[in-house]
Amino acid sequence: MSLDVNTIFQIAGIGIIVAMIQTVLKQMGKDDWAQWVTLIGFVVILYMVSSLIGNLFDKIKDVFLFQG
Amino acid sequence: MKIIGSLLIILTSMAIGRMYGKRYRDRPRQLRQLRSALQVLETEITYSLRPIGDVAAKLMQQLPKPINLFFKQLTEELNKGLPLQGAWKEAVHKFWQGTALKKSEQDILLQFGVTLGQSDRENQEKHIHLALTYLEREEFEAREAQATYEKLWNTMGFLAGLLIVLLLI
Repeated sequence: MSLDVNTIFQIAGIGIIVAMIQTVLKQMGKDDWAQWVTLIGFVVILYMVSSLIGNLFDKIKDVFLFQG
Repeated sequence: MKIIGSLLIILTSMAIGRMYGKRYRDRPRQLRQLRSALQVLETEITYSLRPIGDVAAKLMQQLPKPINLFFKQLTEELNKGLPLQGAWKEAVHKFWQGTALKKSEQDILLQFGVTLGQSDRENQEKHIHLALTYLEREEFEAREAQATYEKLWNTMGFLAGLLIVLLLI
């Protein structure tokens, strides 16, 4: 359980930091960089979330399709 | 243990950000020094009428650290027996690696070096004034770039470190 909370906090932290980086870059007039940073942050978080959901599916498979 | 590691990562990335910002901090200062060096050169040529080898040797001792290397280089090249324009060109090329200055300033100095010793005193004075004007404009631009990018790199260094730490936790 504590692992799940940590992961959620990690994702939230990454989101905040990426938002700050994007704001700073945009303020300095580097809009293209800001877009790339946002995109990369999004992909990283998507990867983390998808691996978590993959774990969940494996668990469901273990529970209901027992004979595998 | 984890905290020490994350602190180390953040400190390192902050240092990297500062290193990148340093280029923008050094450039206006070096441009100003370059301009004052050219002004001294102008006085020496138009009023003291001294040969340029002597002036370079004198400037080498007078000027602060990064810019005096140029005149040191120039004296060395002149001592090797190169003609003045060739020596100036060589010195500019060798001096450039250790500075925060950019290609546009290099072009200005090279252009100025071609005119050096070609004409009489008044024309020479005009050429020096032209180079000074160009350098002044460059310095103005460098100052604006410094105001923007130095802070940007410092902030980015810190934030990137924080991001890496969060990814690794």
